[in-house]
Order: sequence, then C-alpha cells, then structure tokens
Amino acid sequence: MGIGRKLKGWMGEERAEALRERLHEVAEQSTERHLRLAVTGLSQSGKTVFITALAHHLLQAHRSVSLPFFEVAASGRIVSTRDLSPTAPRPFPLQSALARLAQEPPAWPASTEDLSEVRLAIRYRRTAGLRRLLSETGTLYLDIIDYPGEWLLDLPMLTLDYAGWCAQQAQLFAVEPRASVAEQWLAQVRAIDWSAPADRQQIRDLSQSFADLLQQLRADPHALSLLQPGRLVLPGALAGDERLALFPLPVAEWPAGGWPPGSGGELLSQRYAGYRDDVVKPFYTRHFARFDRQIVLVDCLKTLNRGEHCFDDMKRALTSILQSFNYGRSGFLRRLFSPRIDRVLFASTKADHVTANQHHNLDRFLELIIQDAQRDIRFEGIETRCLALSSVRSTQAAEAQVDGQTLSCLRGWRKSDGEEVALFPGEVPTELPRPQDWNDERFRFIDFAPRRLPLNDLQAKHHIRLDQVLEYMMGDLFR
Amino acid sequence: MSGDTQWQKPRYLEPDQLAQTPARDEQVRARELPLTAVSDVAEDESSPATVSAAPSQPRRSRGRRLFALSIGGLLTAGVGIELYRLLQWGFATHPWLGAGLSGLLALALISGGTQVWRSLRGLRQLRQTEALQQQAERLLLHSGQGQASRFLKQLEVQYQQRPGHQTLLDAIRDLDSAYSDAEVVRYLSRHALTEQDARARRCVQRYSIESGVLVALSPWATFDMLLVGWRNLRMLREIAAIYGIAPGAAAQWALLRRVLHSLAFAGASEMAIDAGSAALGSSLTSTLSARAGQGLGAGLFTARTGVEALRLCRPLPQVVREEPLLKAVASGIVERLGRG
Repeated sequence: MGIGRKLKGWMGEERAEALRERLHEVAEQSTERHLRLAVTGLSQSGKTVFITALAHHLLQAHRSVSLPFFEVAASGRIVSTRDLSPTAPRPFPLQSALARLAQEPPAWPASTEDLSEVRLAIRYRRTAGLRRLLSETGTLYLDIIDYPGEWLLDLPMLTLDYAGWCAQQAQLFAVEPRASVAEQWLAQVRAIDWSAPADRQQIRDLSQSFADLLQQLRADPHALSLLQPGRLVLPGALAGDERLALFPLPVAEWPAGGWPPGSGGELLSQRYAGYRDDVVKPFYTRHFARFDRQIVLVDCLKTLNRGEHCFDDMKRALTSILQSFNYGRSGFLRRLFSPRIDRVLFASTKADHVTANQHHNLDRFLELIIQDAQRDIRFEGIETRCLALSSVRSTQAAEAQVDGQTLSCLRGWRKSDGEEVALFPGEVPTELPRPQDWNDERFRFIDFAPRRLPLNDLQAKHHIRLDQVLEYMMGDLFR
Repeated sequence: MSGDTQWQKPRYLEPDQLAQTPARDEQVRARELPLTAVSDVAEDESSPATVSAAPSQPRRSRGRRLFALSIGGLLTAGVGIELYRLLQWGFATHPWLGAGLSGLLALALISGGTQVWRSLRGLRQLRQTEALQQQAERLLLHSGQGQASRFLKQLEVQYQQRPGHQTLLDAIRDLDSAYSDAEVVRYLSRHALTEQDARARRCVQRYSIESGVLVALSPWATFDMLLVGWRNLRMLREIAAIYGIAPGAAAQWALLRRVLHSLAFAGASEMAIDAGSAALGSSLTSTLSARAGQGLGAGLFTARTGVEALRLCRPLPQVVREEPLLKAVASGIVERLGRG
C-alpha cells in the first residue's frame, strides 16, 4: 500500500491507475487471447443493436446454426461462451435489450445514454497445431464498449485548443443549414464584448441556447452529425455541471495576445481546456486508446433520405473521428504494450431496409462516405473492407408484379405506426446523386420496427452478414 | 493502304436524335405497394430445366481427322467382315456352333457397349464438373446478385442422381435471400459437400499412408513404382466415385492426366505447400532410415495427387485451405513405421 500511495503521489492518481490497469492487462494478455473491439458509430447508427445481436449470437454459438460463415462456430469448435459483463463496473444491459427485442410487439433497444461494457469469454477447441499441445481448448476474451455516439464527436477536440476549435466552428456555422438556424444565436454572441469581465449568468444562458441549437440541428429535417461538444447534446452523468456551460466564439478577429484576464473570453477558454482535459481525455485514454480491431457502423440510408448536407456532415464527422484512433500493424510485443488497430471493417447498417439486390450498391455508396478516412487508414497498411450489415433483420424479401415486370420489395412493420407495409424503397446510387435527385421521389427509406428476435433457437435468417463480420473481426484468432 | 478513310469522322450529334436517351432518369421510383399485390419470395423449387450445353471440343486438324476416320473405317470394316465370315463358317459347319458364336458376339457387344457408355458418362460428368467450377469461380468475383440462380439449377440437375443430393438440396434451401452471388458459392462450398469432403479426405489419407508404408517395406525399387501407380489409380477412382463421377477407365485416365498436369504446372501456392512439406519431410526423415524416407516421399506424393483429384472432382472451388491434410499424412506414415 505504501509503495502504491507513493507512486500515486509521484505520478498523479489517474496515471497510476492507468498503469495498474495496463499491467493487469499485460499479465492477462500474455496468457490468454484478448480482443478489444472498437464499435464506432455516430448516434443512431445501430451500435447498441449490433452489440446486443453480436453477444446474443455468440452466447448461442455452440449450437452452430445461426452463423454459417463464422468458421469456428460453423465447424462446431465453440465449446461455450460465458457472459462476464456482470463483473464489469458498468455492465451492458444485454438482458433488457434482448427482452425488448423478444417482446410482442418487439421494439428496438433504448438509445444509449451512458457508457457500458460487454465482456465475453469464448471457449473453443483448438485446431491441430503447436498450441494444441499446450491445451486442448483455448479462451478468447472479447471486450466491447457501448457509449453514446454523441460523445465520440468530442475526440477530435483533443488536438485543438480553444482558438482552433472556435475557428473550425466558425467555418461550420458560416454555411447552410447551420448559418440560418443559428442566425439569432450568432448575432447574440457577436453583439457581446468578450474582453469585458465575465458575466456568468449570461454565459450560462447562451450555453443553454447553444445546447438547444445543437438539438435543433440534430433533429429532422437537418439531421446533422458533427455537433460539438457532445456532452452538451447528451450530458449523461454531467447534467447541470457548471463545466458544461461552454460554446464556441465564432468572432471575426481573435485578440492578438489572448483574452484579458477575468474576461468572458478567458473564462470560456478555461472551460474549454477543462472540458477537454477532464472530460474528453479520460474518456479517450480509458476506453479509446487501446483497441485491436475496429468496426465502423454507418447509417447510409439516413443520408440518402435527408440530402446532401447530411451526407457532407456525416462524411466530415466520420473522417475527423477516425483520425483519433491509432492504426498500424500490431506485432506480438506491440499487442502487449501498446496495441494498435490492425483491421478495420466499415459496415453500412440497416441493410435489411433495402432490397437484397441493392446491397452491393450500398457498399459502393458507403465507400463514398468514408473514402477520405479509408484512404488514411490504408496508408498505414491496414486491411479495410466494406460490408452491408443488418444485426437484427426486420424485413422479409418479397416480390410484386408491377407494370408487367417483377419488382423485388420488402415487407415489414413501419416503426412509426406499427403498420405492416410492403415497400420498394428505391435504388441506392453508387455515385453521389445530383442536387435535384435528393428527394422523396427517388429514395424512400423508412424505419422498420424489428421482427421478434427469439431468446433461443437463433437462425441465420435473423441477421444479415453478422457472421461475416465476426469472421473478419476475429476468425483468425481461434487457432 | 489507299487514301480512303477507314474511320468515321468525329462529329457532333443532336441529343434529341439519339435513338436511346441516357437511362439516367429511368430509375425505378420509390413507391409503396398494397399488401395484396405482393407475394413472398419463395425458394425456387420448380423442376429445373435440363442442361444441354456441353463444352465444345477443341478442333483437330483436318488431315488428322481424315486419317483417323479412314483408319477407323478400315478397321471396322475389316473386323466386321472377319466376324461375318466367322459366323458364316460357324453356321455352315453346324447350326449350334453358329448360335454359340453369335451368342458370344452379342454378349461382347453388349458388355463392351456398356463399358464405353459408362466411361463416356464419366468423362461427360468430369467436363460438367469443370464447367461448374469455372462458373463458380466467376461468381466468386461477382459481388452483385442474380447470376447465381442459373448456376444453382445446373448444380441441382447434375447432382440429381449422384450421392449427397439431399444435402445439396438442403443447403440450397437454407440459402439466405440476402446473399450475393459470391456468398452463395462460398456458403455452398462450405456447407453442401461436408460429408463428401470428409470421406474424400479420409480416403486420401488412407491411401497415402498405405502406399507410404508399402514403399517403405518393399525391397525392390521397380516394385515401388508399380505399387505407387496402382494405389494412385485406385485412389482416383474412389475419389471420383465419392463425388458421384461414374468410375470408368476413360474418366480415370482423364482425371489422372489432369492431376499430373496440374501437379506439373503447380502455381505459387502449391509450390509453397510443397516447400513446406519438403521441409517437414527432411526434418522427419533425418530421424528415419533411407527406406522410410522413400516411403514418406511416396506417401506425400500420393497425398498431393489425392488433394489435386479432390479439387478437380469437386463441383465447387475450395474456399478453405487444405494444408493440414499433408501434415496428417506425414505424421501418420511416421507413426505407422515407428510402430511397425
């Protein structure tokens, strides 16, 4: 204890804690196989449903029917899977999410408001080889973290100071649709002299109206993604905290020597630094700095429904988020001491919301959104792949005779009113549509309510390509 | 060349005059359909159409064909005339002798005919398998949908009388409507032929270990070669039978020729395996006698032949790599020799 306290004194509480955790992990990793899977996605991209379905299918993988492309499960080598999440400080609410999917009528799991963890131990029979001599079976520990997608958008702020962030935000708020929505707020902020002594009440009010503004931009019809700071959109445990009274200053000229002491500008700079260092940095170092593999979930259909602004904004958001992760080849020692992401899968979720013949187009369209990020990642020599995925399948393929030709369409229950509908949702374009094409005439991707996901007896028809995701993400680890 | 222009001059055309306007605006619009107008996509269970397309024969040169025809005609005529004379003589000598001779002749004709027909059937099946494989390889590169249904029909037709028909049908029925063409092939390759694959692998393993042990124990080098050849031919026949290719001499020889061909012109991956097995062989043989080393070599050769035959007889390309088999064979031989 004495040494521990001294260490903490020298290094600071947080670092000592991180070091202790790290050593613990190293000890674990050298004996067992360990996979930390980063599930990355903006809000409403389907992270929680993905994690729920993944855990559910893995927990039943020893029955080997629902995952035909997941080699280790299909060949019956999985002995059993144990859910270790309850030992985590904040367990993922798997049972309640499954209960919602299994009830009648089924509903999607509630959207995530706080951080939680899934930890699975998968025991498998080894293939013939050297490792088999050591022991007949092996265990793979799989760690996944679920978190609100809104918070992810704070990660790019780690590399920016307040002035840089304000300049970036000023650029964003100079173009539509932000410019017109925020017109009043911008005028208010610009009218105030920020070199004058700080008026805390005024800052609190402006921060509140900025938060309202972000909510407005997030909702339909704008549906923008790049909304910072994320905790202002979804405060989580920090609700009502004074540190969150924060907003960018989109002023034309920044004072040369910085804001004078005691001024409103200085207070905001301090709050920004505090937010970045006390809120975002721990979130990053504790949960995001150490990953082995990554899956990026993207909701392409949302952008097609909402138009070009939504597309551009999502592209910008994803590109800047993905810059916060460490990519690179990860050798044995590297994996022990500073793991890097060595495999990335881009998945367009909700593939069941388009007809099956459009999945290929969906892949191509996804590539349009993530092309910048993908280029950076490939530059590091990392394998990437695009895949159309549906974690829980909510529609059934059907066909109809229209004007003498067969049209494949979907049959399912509409999410908004629970009514059964049959829909041909339009074709997914493989290149960026022209401005006049973004309309209801061309794309009508509606949200479907889920079909019931049984608690037992899972089949391959309950998902689309979830097994291929598993195979790509961890198939090579089951040796 | 003369001064006449061989090419069309570039010129502008009126967009309205084009016979076909660009299909940009002809996309199918999004729309909702009344529930009564749709029918669920059922798995296709209608009786598949018969496949008639046989791959075309390579054209032989005219002179050779003429020669073959004339020689064939001459021989047929000669044999026919001789047989006719024989029968005539037999009947002239005694009716019973004639009847016996004609009975024998009929028997020979019938049995010979069946043999020829069977081996021709085997050949045809081998060709069909090859065509299916090529089609599957093409589909594997295709990430869209809609081209797999023809392939599935062909596969079903060809497997109608072969063993494992039910497993194949089950696998086809289990195919998800969301699978792309490549996924269909990968799924079937993994799940439709599991039983046959396991049997074929066991067969290869058994024959390789047998021939390895026999060579290691046999005292004469010439005898070794005959032994290995005999075991290999038996193995090819058995593998072909497992995958439902009628075992006839013609099919067997065609298969052998193809196996040897692909062994001789092995690609880079096979070379890698070969290097691996060679290294393995040397590390194992260093502890064995020279004769046992020969046995190991023969066994590995048989195993490679078997793996190659398996690949050729399988209607679907293999998605999972088959390296462990060679290792299993090698360790099997060493184990037997150690015990023996």
